[in-house]
Amino acid sequence: MKRKSCLVEPFEEKDDIEKKIRELNKKNNLTMYKNSIWYRSLLAAEKSCLKEDKTKKVHYKFDDDSEMVEEYNVDTQVLLRRAWRVKNKIGGEAKWNVEVGDPIHDANPHIDIADITEAKDQPVLTRRNTRVNLEWRIRNLPYPIETYSISANNDDKCIIIRTINKKYFKKLSVPELTRLNLPLEQANIQSNHHFNTLIILYKKPQQLLDMEKEWFQELAKVKPVKDIPDECKAQ
Amino acid sequence: MASIAAAQVQEVRSITRIERIGAHSHIRGLGLDDSLEPRAVSQGMVGQKMARKAAGVVLQMIREGKIAGRAVLLAGQPGTGKTAIAMGLAQALGPDTPFTSMAGSEIYSLEMSKTEALTQAIRKSIGIRIKEESEIIEGEVVEVVVERAAGGGGARVGRLTLKTTDMETNYDMGAKMIDSLLKEKVQAGDVITIDKATGKINKLGRSFARARDYDATGQQARFVQCPEGELQKRKEVVHTVTLHEVDVINSRTHGFLALFSGDTGEIKSEIREQINSKVAEWREEGKAEMIPGVLFIDEAHMLDIECFSFLNRALESETAPVVIMATNRGITRIRGTNYKSPHGIPLDLLDRMIIVPTTPYSHQELKEILNIRCEEEDCQMSSDALTVLTRVATETSLRYAIQLITTASLVAKRRKATEQRNMSVVSTPARNKITKGETIFLASVMVLSWTAIPTWVLLNIKNYRDRE
Repeated sequence: MKRKSCLVEPFEEKDDIEKKIRELNKKNNLTMYKNSIWYRSLLAAEKSCLKEDKTKKVHYKFDDDSEMVEEYNVDTQVLLRRAWRVKNKIGGEAKWNVEVGDPIHDANPHIDIADITEAKDQPVLTRRNTRVNLEWRIRNLPYPIETYSISANNDDKCIIIRTINKKYFKKLSVPELTRLNLPLEQANIQSNHHFNTLIILYKKPQQLLDMEKEWFQELAKVKPVKDIPDECKAQ
Repeated sequence: MASIAAAQVQEVRSITRIERIGAHSHIRGLGLDDSLEPRAVSQGMVGQKMARKAAGVVLQMIREGKIAGRAVLLAGQPGTGKTAIAMGLAQALGPDTPFTSMAGSEIYSLEMSKTEALTQAIRKSIGIRIKEESEIIEGEVVEVVVERAAGGGGARVGRLTLKTTDMETNYDMGAKMIDSLLKEKVQAGDVITIDKATGKINKLGRSFARARDYDATGQQARFVQCPEGELQKRKEVVHTVTLHEVDVINSRTHGFLALFSGDTGEIKSEIREQINSKVAEWREEGKAEMIPGVLFIDEAHMLDIECFSFLNRALESETAPVVIMATNRGITRIRGTNYKSPHGIPLDLLDRMIIVPTTPYSHQELKEILNIRCEEEDCQMSSDALTVLTRVATETSLRYAIQLITTASLVAKRRKATEQRNMSVVSTPARNKITKGETIFLASVMVLSWTAIPTWVLLNIKNYRDRE
């Protein structure tokens, strides 16, 4: 009899086990970003760093020849700007593509190709992140807030903005979340409309916050370049 | 009222005719039927049947990709349609096959060596079809507005409004874009795509919503749905670029230095080698496809011996285009040497070539060509005038007769006389040759007639005072 009781253990703490599993999952989840392809490629990338007043600029060079530049505010640790440059297939220098932050003005625009551009009064999308939020600002949108419907779409991994007057439509990709393979949640989206600008906020999930914090500390290991290239201040 | 209508007509004309009329703008193809037999008059081509048939065979071989690293020589007198045949070949090959046209004397430049110029020309005539993701604007046209800035000669400003089922956006356009929009005859209700990088416009069809706009539509009118979602999309597009363009992109100086170096000048051979190996890699992976095109060198006798030896070697490489040369010389000195050779081309290169001769046009053919040119240049001509002009063409040359067309029509317009004979313009110095015997005979007659009277006087001078 004793043997039998040994074989079949009493199964009373079912809830307890579930809790344990959940906790374990959570713990795993929170550090799972370390296994993501994104985090690994960041670690593997060739990094160089530059400090200028209150900003820290980091240049990444990845294995596939693409380049990324990040600018951080040293005090708040907030990412001010992130830009990408992907090599053209045919070759030649590509333009910098700004993912987060204010767009970079082209010093010498290619007159021969930029022959069709959006008019000045058309909606312009910029991205700006705060410490807790991912933020999109769309300027030149005069329609009142009731016009817009903003929904998270997990099939395309983007936030979709629609207007009932069929004047504006945009799919906002959220690269920060897709890189970590996190789902989009409608509940995290907030929006408001002021001065012809539609502002969309998405609350950063805990994992992303952790990862950003960790990564900023990791960046401290990259030694800044001592002699900053002398920029021509006269211009 | 009438003036407004006239102004509108003027407007329409300026829209439809953007290209200027060139010497060969009436040529739209080789004028062959499906079995490559030349038609007598077709696609702007007249006569020269044998040469056109030969060009047709070459065309077929180029299309099938069989002929590469081969050369064709068009030889014949001036004004027998050598350039016209080459142009026709280019038209028949279509816009996707690279066709480079250059004159033999173009290679002599102080900024670039001869071989560099030739290499560039050769690489311009080899295309690569490559798939690339690019930014595309796709939508239904709501409105196209083109305005000219105040004051004469101001830059044109264009605005294009596009929409999808979900959104609507205005775009500003530059002069180049306006031109190509007008050329494609884009109007409200068309569904178009614009490649943002190259500015290439593609008309997909008309929107279903606009199907009732006209009572009658052409057979080829296609109706498509208005696109949905965003106007700007990233799409995989097949581009055709030439090797030279890839060279230039990869060798351009960057940063603010690019402002100062407009032209590229020489391209380093290392860059070329790099690109060649890259292209070979793409071809193996199936990412790219190579299209050997056509390099046409007019006035080939202007090339010198160095160029010929370079061409000899270049033709042997794997990725050589079809080289078509044209010359109007017979046996002449090869430039850069003291040797004489047929067409001014060394024999070893000549042996690699298929020689297509062109023959002078007959009277009837000349008339036909002049008629075609009249239509092309928008001149009306009475049949008498055509006969006179044909005579001018036989007596002098076809080129002279052709360039008289517009001149004569302008003079006639100033006189406000549409049907008057305008011999003062048409009459020319006689250019027909006289045989040697005739020359001797005429000269002796002239000398005799000059000397006859003085001789008679001299012979009879002793009898001068006889009668007195």
